Amino acid sequence: MIRRLTLTARLTFLYTLVSAVVLLGLGVLVAWSTHLHFIDLDRDYLLDKVQLIEKIVDETPEPVELAAKLDESLNSHQGLFISITRGDEQLFGKGGITFPAELAARSAADQPMDWTDGERQLRGMSTELSTAQMRGGLTSPGQSMRLTLALDTQHHTHFMQMLRQQLAIYVILATLLSGLLGWWAARSGLAPLRTMRERALKVTAHKLDERMPIDAVPVEMAELARSLNTMLERLQQDFTKLMEFSSDIAHELRTPISNLLTQTQVSLSQHRDPDTYRDILASNAEEFQRLARMVSDMLFLAKTDHGIQLPNREDVALEEEAKSLLDFYDAVAEDKELRLRVVGAGSVVGDRLMIRRAISNLLSNALRHAHPHTEVELTVESEGDGINLCVTNTGDPVEAVDLPRLFDRFYRADKARAHPSSDGAGLGLAITKAIMLAHGGSVAVTSVAGRTRFCLHFVSQP
Amino acid sequence: MKILIVEDERKTGEYLCMGLREAGYAVELLNNGVDGLHQALEGDHDLIILDVMLPGMDGWQVLRGLRAQGREMPVLFLTAKDHVDDRVKGLELGADDYLVKPFSFSELLARVRTILRRGRSGMEPTTLQVADLELDLLRRRVTRAGKRIDLTAKEFGLLELLMRRKGEVLPRSLIASQVWDVNFDSDTNVIEVAMRRLRVKVDDGFECRLLQTVRGMGYVLEVPEHS
Repeated sequence: MIRRLTLTARLTFLYTLVSAVVLLGLGVLVAWSTHLHFIDLDRDYLLDKVQLIEKIVDETPEPVELAAKLDESLNSHQGLFISITRGDEQLFGKGGITFPAELAARSAADQPMDWTDGERQLRGMSTELSTAQMRGGLTSPGQSMRLTLALDTQHHTHFMQMLRQQLAIYVILATLLSGLLGWWAARSGLAPLRTMRERALKVTAHKLDERMPIDAVPVEMAELARSLNTMLERLQQDFTKLMEFSSDIAHELRTPISNLLTQTQVSLSQHRDPDTYRDILASNAEEFQRLARMVSDMLFLAKTDHGIQLPNREDVALEEEAKSLLDFYDAVAEDKELRLRVVGAGSVVGDRLMIRRAISNLLSNALRHAHPHTEVELTVESEGDGINLCVTNTGDPVEAVDLPRLFDRFYRADKARAHPSSDGAGLGLAITKAIMLAHGGSVAVTSVAGRTRFCLHFVSQP
Repeated sequence: MKILIVEDERKTGEYLCMGLREAGYAVELLNNGVDGLHQALEGDHDLIILDVMLPGMDGWQVLRGLRAQGREMPVLFLTAKDHVDDRVKGLELGADDYLVKPFSFSELLARVRTILRRGRSGMEPTTLQVADLELDLLRRRVTRAGKRIDLTAKEFGLLELLMRRKGEVLPRSLIASQVWDVNFDSDTNVIEVAMRRLRVKVDDGFECRLLQTVRGMGYVLEVPEHS
């Protein structure tokens, strides 16, 4: 149940609970101390009277005279009850109550005893009169005198009742007030959360540049705000990439489709001889094949974006695959009078088909950009925690700004040379990168003085 | 040779039908799985081309139904989804091949021919011959009109493929896969260059050009009709 409460309600509730417990404890403590204090006061008062009576008894030899003297000196004390007995004989009584029998067993050192007599609430004590010498013959040998006295504590009870009432009212009011304060404190304490919430509400697909206010929130929340900002940053980057990608797709598809459409409609506009039709259809077929390849490349990338499992895992000897691919590209290389060579060896664990595809894309790229009569070199070597496979060609230097973007989808360093001649859609290197990421590896490219070097880094399996 | 196509996409079905008919096959087209299975059980088709996504009953179910009845005719799957799982599933169920849409017709035709050829094993020839071009598989030698032609190993492989399947238009992807074991979309330019070089060696200086490019489709080795 408490899980569904708002944070403010929860804090307010806890705060009120704590206040109630503290205040209640304080109230009980006050009431109890007052009660104990009254007992102490009463005891002192009663002991005081015991002393006084002892003194009078001491000084008075005659029982009759004693009663008169006691009457005289104790008359003004309201609510005080006294009884002096000698054996079974009552020498003096004041107040006219019957004391409980068990009182007779007590002495002045004991705590006063509480009891009720009808309406009255009484607190009393009893003691053997220890007069130094029983002058005046009030006692005869073998007889002792006992003084029993009590105090009406009605007024204390009244006071205590009032005190308890007042304390209860105070505790209730103070608890309510502190609850209110707690609510206010929680609300203002949580204000930064509301600020963040309002900020978060502003974030939409079109407004991904909103950020959490790090400086405006307390230190404890700054960390959270920072993490959220990092998340937003990543989302924004990915989202921008996705947007660019979709607009690139649209653009890449639009050109060939519009070519096809125009060409087809123009050819349909009048009768032509069969050879022309055949030519047009053949050219259309070529364009369609390009489109189909682009779509399957994009699907491949979309799949790897979702983090694919490698279909097969096996030991792949990189130099073997490289040699077999060089065989494939041999004719093109000879055509361009390029020398191809493989240096080094090393094997990795991965999907053979995908690795071949990654290497093939690098070779295709290198051959396309190599100057005639140069060498394209493929090296395999151990490096750090894994194996590097690099393809180096000599060609036009690549601008430093273009380097990191070469692996982006549809990115072409040379916009003007865009596609007609090269039949790739600008996805080859992106696919290579995706394959390497799927293998837990990485890609890198450097270009120094026309020597462009693409490297695939495979991390060795532990 | 009778082929049954079960494909619910009308245009695709009709064009496949037309293409395969023109390639010399007797073709029957159905557009849903239930009819497809029924017809496949009734008829005596040499090959069934099955779309995976079909109304009524999907391609997997049709195949299962066929195999459950003990019908062992080859089945080629067509699918729009390229999932390794699907491929594995198809092959486990006893499909013979698997093509992902969009595919080129020449690719399909080449595969159909491969499947249909499989059953007919005869004596493996030691020499292949087309017109005056001869390829000796044992001695790995090629001669044209009695004149020796020097080929690299891969060129020999390429020519062998074209001669074995003379008269068939072979798409570039099939050539890349069969000769170089490149089973993914690659620079098709590579095949063009290789073919051009092979053509120089095989056809240059001869009246009759055997190696022909079929634009938009692929390559074929055959004696031209007009000569």
